[in-house]
Amino acid sequence: MDPTSKGPLCGDPELGDSEFGDLVEVREALEGLRREIRSRFLSESREAAPWQDVDWQALFGKLRRRMNTFGMSERSGEVDEFGLDEVVLKRALPMLDLLYDRYWRVELSGIEHLPPRGPCLLVANRSGILPYDGMMFAHGLQRRLPELGRARFLIADWLITLPFVQPYLARLGGVRACRENADRLLRHGRSVIAFPEGVKGAAKVFRDRYRLKRFGRGGVVRTALENRVPLVPVGIVGAEEAHPILFKIHGPARSLGLPFLPVTPTFPLFGLFGALPLPSKWVIHIGEPLSLEHLEPDAVDDELLISRLTEELRSRIQSLLDVGLSDRESVWG
Amino acid sequence: MSTGTSEPSVIAVTGLKTFVGQQLLERLVVREPSMRVIGIDQRRPFRLDGRVRFHRVDLSEPTADGRLAEILRRERVDVVVHTAFRREPTPDLEMDHEVETIGSLHIMSACAAAKVRRLVVVSSTMLYGPRPDNPNFLSEDHPLHGHPDAHCVQNRVEMESLLSRWAVRHPDTEVTVLRACWMLGPNHWDRVIRYFSLPVVPMVLGYDPLIQFVHEDDVLHAFETAALTSMPGVYNLVGRGVLPLSTAVRLAGKRILQLPATALYRMAYYPAQSQTGDPPAGFYDYLRYLWVADGARGWDAFGEPVYTSKEAWISFISARRMRRYR
Repeated sequence: MDPTSKGPLCGDPELGDSEFGDLVEVREALEGLRREIRSRFLSESREAAPWQDVDWQALFGKLRRRMNTFGMSERSGEVDEFGLDEVVLKRALPMLDLLYDRYWRVELSGIEHLPPRGPCLLVANRSGILPYDGMMFAHGLQRRLPELGRARFLIADWLITLPFVQPYLARLGGVRACRENADRLLRHGRSVIAFPEGVKGAAKVFRDRYRLKRFGRGGVVRTALENRVPLVPVGIVGAEEAHPILFKIHGPARSLGLPFLPVTPTFPLFGLFGALPLPSKWVIHIGEPLSLEHLEPDAVDDELLISRLTEELRSRIQSLLDVGLSDRESVWG
Repeated sequence: MSTGTSEPSVIAVTGLKTFVGQQLLERLVVREPSMRVIGIDQRRPFRLDGRVRFHRVDLSEPTADGRLAEILRRERVDVVVHTAFRREPTPDLEMDHEVETIGSLHIMSACAAAKVRRLVVVSSTMLYGPRPDNPNFLSEDHPLHGHPDAHCVQNRVEMESLLSRWAVRHPDTEVTVLRACWMLGPNHWDRVIRYFSLPVVPMVLGYDPLIQFVHEDDVLHAFETAALTSMPGVYNLVGRGVLPLSTAVRLAGKRILQLPATALYRMAYYPAQSQTGDPPAGFYDYLRYLWVADGARGWDAFGEPVYTSKEAWISFISARRMRRYR
C-alpha cells in the first residue's frame, strides 16, 4: 500500500523515492530532537524536584497555625449572649440553604398564623438525633419572616454538652432547653422553638413515628403564660423519616456520653457516613396559636389548667401531623 | 457600735493581703479621710498606710471570735468587709476549712456580739459550679452547687450557707454578698490568671464554653459602694457580654492545647497534689461547662460596669504584654 495515499499529512503524493530518503533524515533529526528534549526535561526535573522548591519553614508555620486554631478558624469571636456567632452562621448559610431547598425540599405552610412581629413560643415534634428539625425550621422562619427575628431552637442537655457538637450548636443558634433560657430569650423579644418531647422524642423508634410522647411537665405552657406570648403548635412532617431508628442500644452509649445509641438501616453499618440523614420531603405545618390571652397571669399556679392546656397543645400538634401525613403521597415527595 | 447615722464612720477590713482587701483599704483611706479604717489580718502587711489601725487576729484560732468581738466593740466598728479568703488553692485541706469556713463563722459571731451594722462578704460566681445542666445565665437565687473536687470552692459554699442562715437570725445586720466572676486587670494575680499566662493554654478537647470576666476596677467600685451605702442582698459582679474561651485565648496570642478531658484531669492531679499551688483537677470543669452569671441585679445596684468582659480581658492582656503578633 502506498504510504503517500494515507492522507494529506503524509505530504504531496507526487514526491519521489529521493523525497522519502529526506523523510528518513527528517525522522532521524526529529528523533534526536526528541531525545534531547527528553534528556533536558529529565535533567531539569532532576534539578528542580517539586519538593525542593517548598519553603518548609513557611509550611510548618502554616500547619502550626492551622493546628492551633483547629476547629476554631471559622469563628469571629464575637458572639451574642447565648453563643450565636454571626460569622459562623453566615458561612453555614449555603449549606443550610442546600439542605433546606435541595435535600429535604422543606415547605412551610400556615405561616399566616404567626404573629407579624414580636416573640412567640413555637412548639414542635422532635425527631432525629441531631437537631436538624430545629435548625431547618429556624432557617425557614428566618427566610420567610425576617421581621420576626431569628428564632432560637432549644436543645436537650445531653446534646448541648456533647464534645465537638456543643461549640458548633451554640454558634449556630442552639440553646440549652430550660425554663430560664426560654424566659430570657422571650423577654428579649426572640422567638423560641421548643421540643417538649425532649429525649423521648429524639429516641422515638421508627414504628412510633409521628406519635407524640408526653410533653414534659407543662413547662412550655407555663413559659408562654408567664411571658404572655402566643403558643404556636407546629407539626414537622418528614423529619421523622430522616433518621429511622430501628432499635436502640444502651450498653456502649454510656461511654460516649449519649443516652442511647441509635441503630438505623445505615448508621452503624456504613459507619459515620451512615449517620447522614435520609433525604425525605419535609413539610412544616404551622397551626393556629393557642389562645392564652383570656387567662389570668396567676393561672400559672393552676396545675390542672396547665396540664389541660398541655394536652390540648399536644392534640393540636398531633392533628397537624395526622392531616399532614394523610395529605402527602410519598415519604420522598 | 451602731450609732444610727446613715454614714458609717468606722470600717474594718479583714484579709489585708488579698487583692480586694488591700485595694479597698487604700481606696477608703485616700477617699474618705474622715473615716476610721481598721485592718485585721494574721500578720501585719509590709506596706500599710499609717492611718490604718491594725489588729492582729488569726482566724484559725478557736478563740478568734472573742478577740474579734472585743476589737470590733472597742473600735466601735460600723461596717465589716470580710475578704480574708485564699486566692490560691492549698493542699492543706484542714487549714483551708479552718480559715475559710470556720474563720468566717468567727467573723459572723463577732459581728453579732459587737452589733455591727453591716457585713460585706467577698464571694465568687465559681460557687454556682460548672454543670452541664446550668442555664446560660445563673441568677443570684440559683442554688450553689460548687464543685465536689475543688475543696476551696466547697468551703466557700458552706460559708455562704452558714452566712445566709446567720443573716436570717440577725436581721439588725445588713449582709451584702458580692459574687465576682473571674477578676482581671493590671494588678490582680491569682490562679486563674496563672492558667491564662501559661505559654500553651490547655483546654478540654471538644468543648469551648462561654466565659465572662469582670475588671478589678468595677469590683472595687462595687465593694466601696457596698461598704459605704446600704444595699443588703446578694449580687453577681460580672462584666457585660460573654466570649468563647478559645476566642479569649487567641486574643492573648496564646497557643491552645486541646486535651481529652480524662487526660487533662489526670495531668492536673499531680501538680495539685505536689503542693505547687496549681489549681485542682476540678478547675478544668470550669473550662468545660457553662457557669455564666446574670449580672443585671449588680448592674442596677452599682451602676453600669466600665469594662465589658472583652474589654476586661483586653485590659489584662495588654497590661501583661501578652499579645504576640504572628
